[in-house]
Amino acid sequence: MSQPNTQSITSVGIDIGTTTTQLIISRLTIENTASGTSVPRMEITGKEVIHRSEIYFTPLLDHQLVNSVAVADLVKKEYAAAGLTAGEIDTGAVIITGETAKKENAKAILDALAGLAGDFVVATAGPNLESIYAGKGSGAAAYSAQRHKTIANVDVGGGTSNYAVFAEGRAIATACLNVGGHLIEFEPRGDRITYLAEPARKVLKACGFNWQVGDRVSLSELRTVVDVMAACVVEILKQGELSPLTRELLMTAPLNCGPALTKIMISGGVADYVYQAYKPQTMADVTMYGDYGPLLGLALREKAEAAGYILESPLETVRATVIGTGTQSVNLSGSTIHVREDTLPLRNVVVLSPFTEMPDSPGGIAQAIRREILRFEADDTGAYLALSLKGPRTMAFADIEVLAEGILEGMREYLGGGRPLILIIEDDCGKVLGQCLEAKARNSLEVLCIDQIAVGECDYIDIGKPLMGGRVVPVVLKTLVFNNALG
Amino acid sequence: MTAAANEQLEKLIVQNVLEELAKKGLLNTQNKDHVMSAVAMHMAKEPAKDDGFVTLPPADEVLVASPANLEAIKAMKKTTPARIGIGRAGARPKTISWLRLLADHAVAQDAVFVDVSAEFIQRMNLLPVQSAAASKDEFLTRPDLGRRLSVEAVKTIEEKCIKNPQVQILVVDGLSSSAIEASVPDLLPALLQGLTSAGIKVGTPIFIKHGRVWAQDHVAQIVNAEVVISLIGERPGLGTAESLSAYMIYRPNEKTVEADRTVVSNIHKGGIPPAEAGAHLVDILKQILKAKASGVKLAQQA
Repeated sequence: MSQPNTQSITSVGIDIGTTTTQLIISRLTIENTASGTSVPRMEITGKEVIHRSEIYFTPLLDHQLVNSVAVADLVKKEYAAAGLTAGEIDTGAVIITGETAKKENAKAILDALAGLAGDFVVATAGPNLESIYAGKGSGAAAYSAQRHKTIANVDVGGGTSNYAVFAEGRAIATACLNVGGHLIEFEPRGDRITYLAEPARKVLKACGFNWQVGDRVSLSELRTVVDVMAACVVEILKQGELSPLTRELLMTAPLNCGPALTKIMISGGVADYVYQAYKPQTMADVTMYGDYGPLLGLALREKAEAAGYILESPLETVRATVIGTGTQSVNLSGSTIHVREDTLPLRNVVVLSPFTEMPDSPGGIAQAIRREILRFEADDTGAYLALSLKGPRTMAFADIEVLAEGILEGMREYLGGGRPLILIIEDDCGKVLGQCLEAKARNSLEVLCIDQIAVGECDYIDIGKPLMGGRVVPVVLKTLVFNNALG
Repeated sequence: MTAAANEQLEKLIVQNVLEELAKKGLLNTQNKDHVMSAVAMHMAKEPAKDDGFVTLPPADEVLVASPANLEAIKAMKKTTPARIGIGRAGARPKTISWLRLLADHAVAQDAVFVDVSAEFIQRMNLLPVQSAAASKDEFLTRPDLGRRLSVEAVKTIEEKCIKNPQVQILVVDGLSSSAIEASVPDLLPALLQGLTSAGIKVGTPIFIKHGRVWAQDHVAQIVNAEVVISLIGERPGLGTAESLSAYMIYRPNEKTVEADRTVVSNIHKGGIPPAEAGAHLVDILKQILKAKASGVKLAQQA
């Protein structure tokens, strides 16, 4: 009956972005934070970053292909620098962000890293999740909780600007705009264009410029273009009518967080130039990294201040996303964990949300589940499924029993295949629902009830091996790289 | 006294005071008439009503007049049922806060003084017995009597209860009958289902009127139970009157002390939901049976 009250795990976060690739390794402390007279509650209580990698330029074979072998080499090098082996990494996440997430070969990166980065490192991507990680890494989430003030974090990277609005530590709205500091490439410290990304062409068209690769541009012309980009970034924050260009560059739904924002925080590589009093005088000043990032930083500060926003300083700038990914992507959960030793870890569990309103009979519940399984054609693929739901109709035991019966009936075919029943529940009823399911199942049943996790928009989860004497499992939320309409 | 009679009396008092003041030259006639007409108007505007129920506004309302950070107060109020963010009227609480305090106090008193209904005990299929305290007053003034069973109770239990169970369940009114009626209907079936599924031999569930925690020691000896679990109404506070605790003890004897009991408290809809608590208690009872110990002894083995 050994029940340890603390445990620490080593987590890695890898952020492969349009411009840079970074890695952090952190040590997470898990503790039972509930008092002895309550139901145990496992939480991550400590997050210590034990290794920060150098900031590498993302190795690319060309503008469309990431060099996955080079990425893997880079990860190996950083493990060695941290004095760790892949086997010592318990959990973590790779996040492929910005322009890179669009590129066809993202899967190759994931494959190259999957074996390398420990037993439970997985790919996470999607602009909304990326926005949230950046805002957690920058300190915006903590700021909103400590000061009780709503704040928007804008992570401006090479290819995208990721918005996340936080209130009381929780993300309440996200958005992603295809504007960053690396959409036009120049000869370093020069003025000749070496590459134009598609979104940059859209901006140039709106400005009336017809720049081509090989052209030389002046600082004042570039300033005009960058000002338009900065204006687009700020326009999103205003939550009003969007200009045609901004609408074209928007990769998600517009930002919608209710009342007008007053405070913003900017993170990402460009942020260093938002908060510094650096004013580039020549094209050579601007293009020291082969792009226009410093100029975009300056323009963003001016546009944001002109619009009346109060700029709060982030704790992290260029590393915000990787810090957020490494320290925030792992959730802990579990109230009923009755699975065989070798069932976990499970990867790419498809999350289904069958209920808009909870039916009041087992038949109605079963029907809603079957309809959802059919809609996703999820059962044909042999994939693992998780049902996400708020909870029973009421917290009465009778309603919990009805829910258990409905789930067993709706999932009968799926469970017949010997797969475990995975439930993600918002309400505090994971133990009793698990108990009801086991009591009502005709055959022995593997049950995993996960609570206290908001899956929100996520499509997939990964579930790791149990921790803390089998009382909790690590859960990583994911969205698919490829299924978003990201061009 | 009716509301109308009250107002009539109030008017009379005001009139007498004003006339007295006018007599002493402390109030001129004009002012006196002004005040009296105000009193009359007040009465006309608010005709006497029958005593009815008063609905208080929701407790999550922030009553601070002009808060510097309303969001902060709301966030803090969410973390506690305590009366914060209620503003003030001078040095005193606002009328509405004071009324709420009185109302919550009344709910707490009712929870102590009202009995668990016979219909409820029957519906829950509990065997009703009584402690050695003959009345509510005796129960409240003589804690020692609530800790043991009446002579009839001992006889009833000896005759009707399953002997040598692994787990004996007791429902005890304690200091809140409201907690019993609010939480037991969802907790008890969850608890019984879990114990049955685990193949644990459960005794006849008993209800003890006017009982305290220690009554479980007495029952354990009569039925020879391995573990006794008492679901008992907690002393009501001003936050909730529906909070239930579960006290568990492994083979109590004359040397048993408070530290030998394992407790799970704060079981109510705003704390640990009763049905979830039932499943959690099953886990703890399994641990106690396995460790053959409860309380601090159990925690030390863990």
